[in-house]
Amino acid sequence: MISPTSFGYVADVLRRETAMLCEPGKEYLVEARLLPLARAAGCADVDTYVNERLRHDAAERAAAVDALTINETSWFRDLAPYQAFSDVILPSLLGARADRRHLDIWSAACSSGQEAYSIAMLLHEQLPAGWTARIHATDVSPSMLERVRTGRYSQVEMNRGMPANRLVRYFTKVGTEWEVDPALRAMITTEKVNLAAPFPGSLQYDFILVRNVLIYFDLDTKRDILRRFRARVANDGFLMLGATETTLDLDDAWVREPAGRAWVHRPRLGAAVSPRTSTTLTPTGA
Amino acid sequence: MTGTTVDSQIDELSELDVVSVVEEVWATFLGADAFMPLIPLAPGTPAPADPCWDAAITVAGAWQGIIMISLEAGLAHHVTEAMLGLEPGGEHSTEDVVDAVGELVNVIGGNIKGLVPGPSKLSLPMVARAPIRVSSLVELVRLPLAWGEHQLALVVGVPAGGDSVEVGT
Amino acid sequence: MHALIIDDSRTMRSILRRIVTELGFDISEAGNGEEALTLLEDGLVPDLCLIDWNMPLMDGYTFVTRVRADPRWRQITLMMVTTESEHGQIVRALAAGAHEYVIKPFTSEAIIDKLELLGMVAREVPA
Repeated sequence: MISPTSFGYVADVLRRETAMLCEPGKEYLVEARLLPLARAAGCADVDTYVNERLRHDAAERAAAVDALTINETSWFRDLAPYQAFSDVILPSLLGARADRRHLDIWSAACSSGQEAYSIAMLLHEQLPAGWTARIHATDVSPSMLERVRTGRYSQVEMNRGMPANRLVRYFTKVGTEWEVDPALRAMITTEKVNLAAPFPGSLQYDFILVRNVLIYFDLDTKRDILRRFRARVANDGFLMLGATETTLDLDDAWVREPAGRAWVHRPRLGAAVSPRTSTTLTPTGA
Repeated sequence: MTGTTVDSQIDELSELDVVSVVEEVWATFLGADAFMPLIPLAPGTPAPADPCWDAAITVAGAWQGIIMISLEAGLAHHVTEAMLGLEPGGEHSTEDVVDAVGELVNVIGGNIKGLVPGPSKLSLPMVARAPIRVSSLVELVRLPLAWGEHQLALVVGVPAGGDSVEVGT
Repeated sequence: MHALIIDDSRTMRSILRRIVTELGFDISEAGNGEEALTLLEDGLVPDLCLIDWNMPLMDGYTFVTRVRADPRWRQITLMMVTTESEHGQIVRALAAGAHEYVIKPFTSEAIIDKLELLGMVAREVPA
């Protein structure tokens, strides 16, 4: 069973990264959820895993937080961003890409794929005839990417935020699980990408979603990641962070704009593509 | 599908799927505060003995079968408190236990019904403060499980020879 | 807002009651579709009905068709909460006029998600 010291460390990480509280009495929860990760990392027990891996490895911490906040992933998470996609982002891109009639979208911390498939459903419904779209779903975890490729979700996962009419339209029941329509799966490509390392390829995307993952990185890494995203989003493209995240205090290469009840970040044209080093804030006029 | 052999019925229902169902139901309705995993016990482990609470529910139609759950008495009381939102160790009636354990087997049974050929109907649950015995039952799946220090067992079975199932205590 | 919980299981009504009360709803309960219809006929006007499928006397599917056929009850949001998980059953329920569908077992988060989709609750998100 996890020691009090390790439990305290894990609780601190959780509270810092997610604002979730993990009080004494929940040792069973932490033990049960982290033991598989510990074993996968080659550690004999959770205490070893905490001391040898979690304390030193940000990606491992991210995986641990994921495992502890299981069931936080949902379809159309936070709703407003997807409404913003339908009402603001997609119409803008349909206008801007009328010559190409193709959209490239990057789900940059795709986890089990609900975000990518949610966007795919909206595109399936709203993309005009003659247009194509590709959603590149990337994650640091190969098992998550496999889940995206398989496109199968448990009943409990399907209950999280999936409107019933889309459930029956886009999924068929296979045993206890629901499998996504091959037409949606055909829009998705997958690739293993560690955001803290150089991004593969050089394609510029029309829309990048990097939601609720930057919080796991330290400030310098966060700045570097955003700088590298800036080079990979089209000048008239969009970046979307998690509902509570912002680049405002990090990087003046972006303009933050409202899109319905959500916020999007657009490249600030003419700005230097490197992070500020001073700490004074400049109003962006957003 | 009357007259199908037991072998084909085993093919239709995989033990892994049954395990998934039990885990999801358990974690969802009981995992709330002190989440503990359900641990499979060795196949030969005997079902919880008296004092125990048993509940059974039948599926009838394209597929005929019975789903039974057996809980140590202490676990049955814990399940009742968790599902009814009662104070741990507080007062609750026999009726409370009957209803809670009955609903547990109803949700498990309903999900297992979703795994077998349809159409078919779920019966009302039967709950007893004693082991439930079923005559001429062929067990397709038997899952002895531990949850913390508690023990439970889940059985999915079909009537031998295509007869309808007779249930008693 | 007012929610009517319709399920023949006291336990399930208790689980749903706790979740929905926490969200600020007032609650009425019925043990089957017929009891629920009687409440509506007697003047209860819930904003939301949470409806089990398999119940004695009148099942949830029939209750949905009866409510949707009556102009007095046009504004009521109907959400099924059931173990019926076959694709065809969900299609039937939606075709009969159910607005949403939750498969048991469900977490409180699942119910909140659905109510958010229906515009009946809003999760607090810091600006």
